[in-house]
Amino acid sequence: MAGQLVKEWAGIQQFPAATQEKLVDLLAKLKNQNVDKLTILVMGKGGVGKSSTINSIIGEPVVTVSAFQSETPRPVMVSRSRAGFTMNIIDTPGLVEGGYVNDQVLDSIKSFLGRFLMMKTIDVLLYVDRLDAYRVDDLDKQVVKAITDSFGKEIWHKAMVVLTHAQLSPPDALTYEEFFSKRSESLLKCVRQGARISKKDVQNFAIPVALVENSGRCNKNEHDEKILPTGTPWIPNVVHAITNIALNGKGGILFDKKLIEGPNANDRGKLFIPLILAFQYFFVIRPIQKQIRYDVARETKPSWA
Amino acid sequence: MSSFAGPPHPLLPLTSSAASRRRNSAVVSHLSSPSSVIQCNFPSLSATSSSQNPEPLIPPPSPLNSIISPKNIALSAASCVLFHIAKPVIPGSDAIFNSGSGGGGSGGDSGGGGGGNGGGEGGGFWRFFSPEAVAKDDDPQQEWDSHGLPANIVVQLNKLSGFKKYKVSEILFLDRRRASTVGTEDSFFEIVSLRPRGIYTKAQLQKELESLATCGMFEKVDLETKTNPDGTINITIPFLESTWQSADRFRCINVGLMQQSKPIEMDPDMTEKERLEYYRSQEKDYRRRIERSRPCLLPMPVQREILQMLREQGKVSARMLQRIRDRVQQWYNENGYACAQVVNFGNLNTKEVVCEVVEGDITQLQIQFLDKLGNVCEGNTQFPVIKRELPKQLRQGQVFNIDAGREALRNINSLALFSNIEVNPRPDEKNEGGIIVEIKLKELEQKSAEVSTEWSIVPGRGGRPTLASIQPGGTVSFEHRNIKGLNRSLLGSVTSSNFLNPQDDLAFKLEYVHPYVDGVYNPRNRTFRASCFNSRKLSPVFTGGPGIEEVPPIWVDRAGVKANITENFTRQSKFTYGLVMEEITMRDESSHISANGQRVLPSGGVSADGPPTTLSGTGVDHMAFLQANITRDDTKFLNGTTVGDRNVFQLDQGLGIGSKFPLFNRHQLTVTRFLQLKHVEEGAGKPPPPVLVLHGHYGGCVGDLPSYDAFTLGGPYSVRGYNMGELGAARNILEVAAELRIPVRNTHAYVFAEHGNDLGSSKDVKGNPTEVYRRMGHGSSYGVGVKLGLVRAEYAVDHNSGTGALFFRFGERF
Repeated sequence: MAGQLVKEWAGIQQFPAATQEKLVDLLAKLKNQNVDKLTILVMGKGGVGKSSTINSIIGEPVVTVSAFQSETPRPVMVSRSRAGFTMNIIDTPGLVEGGYVNDQVLDSIKSFLGRFLMMKTIDVLLYVDRLDAYRVDDLDKQVVKAITDSFGKEIWHKAMVVLTHAQLSPPDALTYEEFFSKRSESLLKCVRQGARISKKDVQNFAIPVALVENSGRCNKNEHDEKILPTGTPWIPNVVHAITNIALNGKGGILFDKKLIEGPNANDRGKLFIPLILAFQYFFVIRPIQKQIRYDVARETKPSWA
Repeated sequence: MSSFAGPPHPLLPLTSSAASRRRNSAVVSHLSSPSSVIQCNFPSLSATSSSQNPEPLIPPPSPLNSIISPKNIALSAASCVLFHIAKPVIPGSDAIFNSGSGGGGSGGDSGGGGGGNGGGEGGGFWRFFSPEAVAKDDDPQQEWDSHGLPANIVVQLNKLSGFKKYKVSEILFLDRRRASTVGTEDSFFEIVSLRPRGIYTKAQLQKELESLATCGMFEKVDLETKTNPDGTINITIPFLESTWQSADRFRCINVGLMQQSKPIEMDPDMTEKERLEYYRSQEKDYRRRIERSRPCLLPMPVQREILQMLREQGKVSARMLQRIRDRVQQWYNENGYACAQVVNFGNLNTKEVVCEVVEGDITQLQIQFLDKLGNVCEGNTQFPVIKRELPKQLRQGQVFNIDAGREALRNINSLALFSNIEVNPRPDEKNEGGIIVEIKLKELEQKSAEVSTEWSIVPGRGGRPTLASIQPGGTVSFEHRNIKGLNRSLLGSVTSSNFLNPQDDLAFKLEYVHPYVDGVYNPRNRTFRASCFNSRKLSPVFTGGPGIEEVPPIWVDRAGVKANITENFTRQSKFTYGLVMEEITMRDESSHISANGQRVLPSGGVSADGPPTTLSGTGVDHMAFLQANITRDDTKFLNGTTVGDRNVFQLDQGLGIGSKFPLFNRHQLTVTRFLQLKHVEEGAGKPPPPVLVLHGHYGGCVGDLPSYDAFTLGGPYSVRGYNMGELGAARNILEVAAELRIPVRNTHAYVFAEHGNDLGSSKDVKGNPTEVYRRMGHGSSYGVGVKLGLVRAEYAVDHNSGTGALFFRFGERF
């Protein structure tokens, strides 16, 4: 995959002209900031629409989507370039399987990244969940925690929460906006808890939330752009948010050995080895020697000796 | 004179044995020199090791492992003490109560013929016929003659017919002083060899009377016979027991190596004045003798006990002295002084009883080498090597003690240089009462080589063995022992299951051992060892947890050199420190070097992207590190079970020499307590106490930690009930265990509970093999078991899954 040629972003042609225009603008903005490459990692629970979102953004069916099964057995990287600008999107399998966070999946993601992204940075993390889920539970926290444990807390500087299935009718007595804000707020709270972001750090970690509707029945506006129930076309919106994150001044997550393997325990405490050795000699070996000498003295001698 | 050898009896458990096949024979030598009365059956200690195999194996306790029984010694010593009591002629004079072990001059009586039957001239010996001796005379086939006299008449001994064999139907001792007969349990019956229903001639009876008269216990003794209607005779022995003034002091002196008091012939025609003079000089001599004698080993409590006996008694009688003699000798025998004997009682008729003891002082220590035929030859082993193994108590000037002899035997045996060891005490002919300790050694062959071969036939193509599939395998080993006579040795071995293609599994070992680094005379016991080795072990790090499919195994091949110095503080406690340089190669099943562990993917495929096996990442590591191990082992066997403490601290200190400059400090501390829960008496055949074993093991590593040095949890020596490494592989671990051992008959049953924990440090091992192979990182187990000989059968419940299984294990867990 790494070896494969980076394809021209042909899918952009599929978009309505208005969308194309906005995207080109955003790409130009990135180029102006000397950013010619964007690596986006997409993670989340299974079946929330990670792959579909990628397909929507790229504009072509790059990753296979099947409705009823875990469609992505292993991470897949999609790279598209346009006018000297490259976008890498990494699709990953759902982190939750059978009600638990699947460590093996996490490992496979890490080893995949280790293979293809060594010494490169992750610019944006898309944490994907559904808008139409009403409850946030412990599992969500665990997923966030697993991501944090793997990539470090810093990744949440570069994160964005993406809520799919945006086209829904909210339950009674709630406006769409109210429902959206409630849902996003509860999810963000969960993310903060899972990522152990303390209250005073909240300002530092401004995690944007974007809405996505991948369904073909998505409403469209007069320019044939897919729009959200609020009326905003969502693809430019998402890409805009992504650009903002990419340009938010925080460094990307450098994917190096340390990140895959965690902190190198082999180096920990190495400096103290001489001290430890001295301690062992004076406080372990010497006392044992003393004890032996005491044993010898105390030994019950036979009556004849 | 007869001696009494008891049945050989297992006594000396040789725990530090040199050989796998060993016979310890009980050798009891009956030493008697014509010139002297036999003193004691000298015990001799010996050990035979008939194996070439130097591996220290613990020999199974077998009844053959017997040296000599204390009972045996006790009996033999008791049987040989002879009495020769001189009867005091003039009250107030010293009477000397001689017992016969003093060599030739046992005449000690001064009394002359005073009492009529005092054995005056030359001092006869009082004989002791053991029942066996009597039995010889007492042949049931033999006819006996009727006395041919009217019944119920008393016949003087000299009136009996010299040609008849008389059958004795009853023997009675008649105490003239008390005018009563003495019960059969009295000690007098021990000294008379006549037995009821025995058949004796007149000469025999006369001899018996003579020996009774000279034994010193009687002031006057006679032998009367009374005829019975059935033709048999009854014997009555009227006697007057020797008695002396009552005494209120007791003294025990060691007269070993001193001249025995020789009686001066007294001229019966001496005048009263001369006689007084004579007695006075004798008294003076005796006082001087006491002064010159050395204090004896008899402890105060026993002396007080004897004094108590004396005080209760009033007059000192012969039987009293006999009892004192028995008590004193009993103490000596119980405490291992097998050659100690009461030889004399002196200073009688004063207020004091002086007990003269020959304790068995060692006058000489002889070390001899024997060749195969048992002839004395020149040995290769240097004497200091043997001498340093001997306890101080075997040196010249000490009193011979059989336990010291046993220890010497054990220590020499642990040198593993001799096929046969004998420690014999022998009476010193030049020094009266002295003992020469002889150590006779048969040396093992210095050089030995061994080749053992085996052919294995591997099914070839088509499952049929072909000529090419026959593999010659085996072991070639050689050993050069006891180089320069200083117990240095060089040994090597090469093993392969296929000599045509030995690179597959060639195992080799070459070791040089150099004891007495500080000099053979220096009591500090340090041994230098250098060795070249290789080993192949299955890594418990790359093992699956419960429920995971078979994890492809990884083999750890180590090859290197090692040099260390071991200092032995006690038999079990020691300190070892040295340098290890080794190459570690990690291989998979097909012997290919593998840099990473393999794992089975959910799809069934195998991927080789598991945890790295080595520091270098190539599958081959080189490293040099310092290794130290200090063991404090204060455990001992109490009636067959272990009690005491054991602490072991092991340290591997990386030096930054090797692949990736490994710098690490890997340490582990093991603490085991065997707590005795009940006080029990020590002794063979006594039940062992219940024991609570508490065990803790901490292992940790700071710095570079390759997978092969990670601490693994689970297994028969870690947490029972799990497989090796089933619980995880971690940087720091803690294991705790408790086991309660309850003695059941000859063995013990036990219950145990164990726990092992990675202290959250599994993730600090590169690649986190614990997690990759789906292991818990901690686990507990509990179970019950029983020890059956060397095998432990136990049922252990694995607490993680809650299932139990039956295990059979060899050896001890702790």
